[in-house]
Amino acid sequence: MNKIHEHINKVKKGEIDIVEATHKALEETEKINKEYYYMNEISARLALSQAEKLKKHATGRLSGLFISVKDAILVEGVQSRGGSKILNGYIPPFSSTAVKKLVDEGAIIIGKTAQDEFGFGGFSTNVNVGLNHPLNPFDKDCATGGSSGGCGGMSQLASFPHISLGESTGGSIVNPASFCGVFGLCPTYGRVSRYGLMDYANSLDKIGPMGKELYGIASVQEVISGHDSNDSTSLKNNIDNYSLYIEKDVKGMNFGIIKETFGEGVDLSVEKKVWDAIKTLESLGAKYHEVSLPKTNRYGISAYYLIATSEASTNLARYCGMRYGKEEELKGNFNEYFSKVREMNFGEEAKRRIMLGTFARMSGQRDAYYIKALKVRTKIIEEYSHTFKKFDALISPTMPMLAPRFDELEKLSPLQHYKVDLMTVGPNLAGLPHINIPVGFEKNLPVGMMIISNHLEEGKLIQVAKEFENE
Amino acid sequence: MIKEFNTDVVIGLEVHVELDTETKLFCACRTYGNIEPNTLTCPVCLGYPGSKPVLNKRAVEYALMLCLALDCKISPELVFSRKSYFYPDMSKNYQITQYELPLGQNGKVELSDNKEVWITRIHIEEDPASITHPGGIGNSEFVLVDYNRSGRPLCEVVTEPDMTTPKQAREFMKNLINVLKYIKIFDVNECIIKADANISVKESGYVKVEVKNITGFKEIENALQYEISRQRNALKCGEIIIQETRAWDADSKTTRSMRTKETAEDYGYILDPDLVITDITEEWIKKAKESLPELHNEKVKRYVSEYGISLEDAKVLSLDYDLSGFFDEVARKTNPILAAKWVRRELVRVLNYNEMELSDIKFDSSHFADILELISKDKITENVGKKILEKLAAGSFNVKEYVKNENLEKVSDNNALLDMSNKVINENPLVVDEYKSGKDQALNYLVGQVMKMSKGKASAQEVKKMMESLVK
Ligand SMILES: [Zn+2]
Repeated sequence: MNKIHEHINKVKKGEIDIVEATHKALEETEKINKEYYYMNEISARLALSQAEKLKKHATGRLSGLFISVKDAILVEGVQSRGGSKILNGYIPPFSSTAVKKLVDEGAIIIGKTAQDEFGFGGFSTNVNVGLNHPLNPFDKDCATGGSSGGCGGMSQLASFPHISLGESTGGSIVNPASFCGVFGLCPTYGRVSRYGLMDYANSLDKIGPMGKELYGIASVQEVISGHDSNDSTSLKNNIDNYSLYIEKDVKGMNFGIIKETFGEGVDLSVEKKVWDAIKTLESLGAKYHEVSLPKTNRYGISAYYLIATSEASTNLARYCGMRYGKEEELKGNFNEYFSKVREMNFGEEAKRRIMLGTFARMSGQRDAYYIKALKVRTKIIEEYSHTFKKFDALISPTMPMLAPRFDELEKLSPLQHYKVDLMTVGPNLAGLPHINIPVGFEKNLPVGMMIISNHLEEGKLIQVAKEFENE
Repeated sequence: MIKEFNTDVVIGLEVHVELDTETKLFCACRTYGNIEPNTLTCPVCLGYPGSKPVLNKRAVEYALMLCLALDCKISPELVFSRKSYFYPDMSKNYQITQYELPLGQNGKVELSDNKEVWITRIHIEEDPASITHPGGIGNSEFVLVDYNRSGRPLCEVVTEPDMTTPKQAREFMKNLINVLKYIKIFDVNECIIKADANISVKESGYVKVEVKNITGFKEIENALQYEISRQRNALKCGEIIIQETRAWDADSKTTRSMRTKETAEDYGYILDPDLVITDITEEWIKKAKESLPELHNEKVKRYVSEYGISLEDAKVLSLDYDLSGFFDEVARKTNPILAAKWVRRELVRVLNYNEMELSDIKFDSSHFADILELISKDKITENVGKKILEKLAAGSFNVKEYVKNENLEKVSDNNALLDMSNKVINENPLVVDEYKSGKDQALNYLVGQVMKMSKGKASAQEVKKMMESLVK
């Protein structure tokens, strides 16, 4: 199965009428969207104008590849709201570096996908743009996962050559990839420029590709990687040739199975599917051993939520109805006005995280929460780097459960919501690359396995994922 | 640590200095130019969603130079933080500044009475936008925001509460500006320097009041004098001084309350995760040290040892960066001791009289040196020299030719002097008699007449000697 590769070659040779193909892709997107609510915005005009250009001249590495983009990643001229109604009508005057690089290589942007408001959630139920929340492609009563839920759903259902550009802060790429049954690659922190990404938590945010075909994942990752003078945290290291790893196999690789991510609190059917996949790897010549990450599993979630919300609460301060954020009736002094705008337009979860983050960094609490969380994070990074001395990669389920039903979710407390990030916050805190690999179905819902590799070893993830691509 | 105070007044300063870089602290926007509001902006300094700051290395180099010039200890790492507060002049509603680890700590500035003012910290931060209240604060229905200033690089210099008089505060500011000029990181005409002062008086038990927004060193003395007497008057009337923040209004020359301690803000500092923490290497510091020019104290020492001028002259000259530069040029061309005296007194006198700055004058140090050379070789008198200098202020000319053409060379021919003196004696028999009867000032009149006759070209001392011997 190499539809994307074939499609790009045909577009380059002019064997496909790319304008016609774009019309078809847009029609299909509209149709999917009517049923599943994956798109906050469909950028038909932009897509068609890009197609017209490609019809005349197509040399880019991604010529004619259709891309949907998470709402928080800016696309010049296309309404970008980060899933929040406070940014209703916001048309950014510049594109994110990642989108710019994709467009420069001939990719076609079809629109902005649904997400939890500013990335605050694991199920894409905290949507706040006045649209329905996205529905799982396999069962409309279930969630897509989040926060890049629209990306996951589109990746599963689009029949045209398509990759989605997602973003992960604490697991928002692999989580919806798992629930929607697609690959989702979250690269090393800093591998992809964050310029033009609406910030959730700047020290954690990472842009990465999601989709059904590894070739598409690898080629998009190659294009968007690299240093960007507009983002000081972007890495200068050479860019790996990721698609070459599709040709490699796992023979001789040594995996660490993270002990704490199995057992209590984990759905048995999820465990079973992941163990089946581990056995498959063994049968292909790989070795595995159990490994324990006690600090990560004990303190990861707390450290993650303290750091992420501390940063988020400063990032969201600019949305106050002055330069950014919806305007409301001008009344009272600036303080009263700012408060009114924020009260009226932020969703419940955004308000919760702003308050949590503001509390964690106030002078009385700062040392006990924010500063301590930073120290814990350093310990967690040390724990991982120690582990990678012995293993090529680490394995765990991506999510501890199958995609939950919406009526089940309503019963969960905020803390229970946060706890589903158990497996994903570790690599996100440590800035480690990780991938979701679909490893089968249970009750008609997909199960995902997560592979974590050391910094800048995205290639290894593709190498492992490739073993499961044709199933 | 709580300091024990015992002086009548305690003053500490927080001075904001705008660094004279080409571009802003975190973006490529220009920092200068007298232009339309909101034209020197970009997504970064406007705080657009998705924009990221990129540090201007030049601003760090400038700040490093300031830290080194003020003897600060340099921090091992460069760390930036976000200071959060909601205000209409901040596009992001947080300011990027330094919190935990300021660039420099524990420096000092010396005042004229050998008093040392300790610098607690020096850090780098971005300037917010500027706000204008059309019709004045309190009267306006709206404010106007100009983001041209947003993101300009500032250095904040925080002192210990070491000053005890408004005059000392003024001198501190003046010395700081002089250091800034020495290291050329501050443009007096373009850059802003602002101070917030912490001030308390003994009578209140040293309750600290902060006075914000004082511009320049003359204002600081006024503001502090006002605030001290306000506090003392209030105490005399039985009022209590509360810990509060007040704003200095330069127009009305008063301070007014902005907020009291109860509503003081919590800035919720976090590290700015968009900016990577960088090591400040020995190499970086070495480079900054090498790019430092000779500083004030070093210059004083050199003037004494190299030119043999008095310590007092050396100090006065070095305190003014421009003047000392001029002096150096003149001293290399002619007698340094004469040069010190003339730059300090005569040049300053002519500048003041003409209301000119050194940068305005049309002549250069070689004209000035020519005059001094003629004086030291006894070719012209000091009086003639002063007149030439005054004339030079209006436009430059060749000094030596001018002296020759105008026949200004000193009359040192004894016969000529004798002729003139005898002539004056003959013409003023009454004055001669007065002198002989014991009125000493009568002699001054006679000498003056000879000087007039010589058009100032004679030496007054020589004429006096000759007169005395003639009318004895
Ligand atoms: Zn700018």
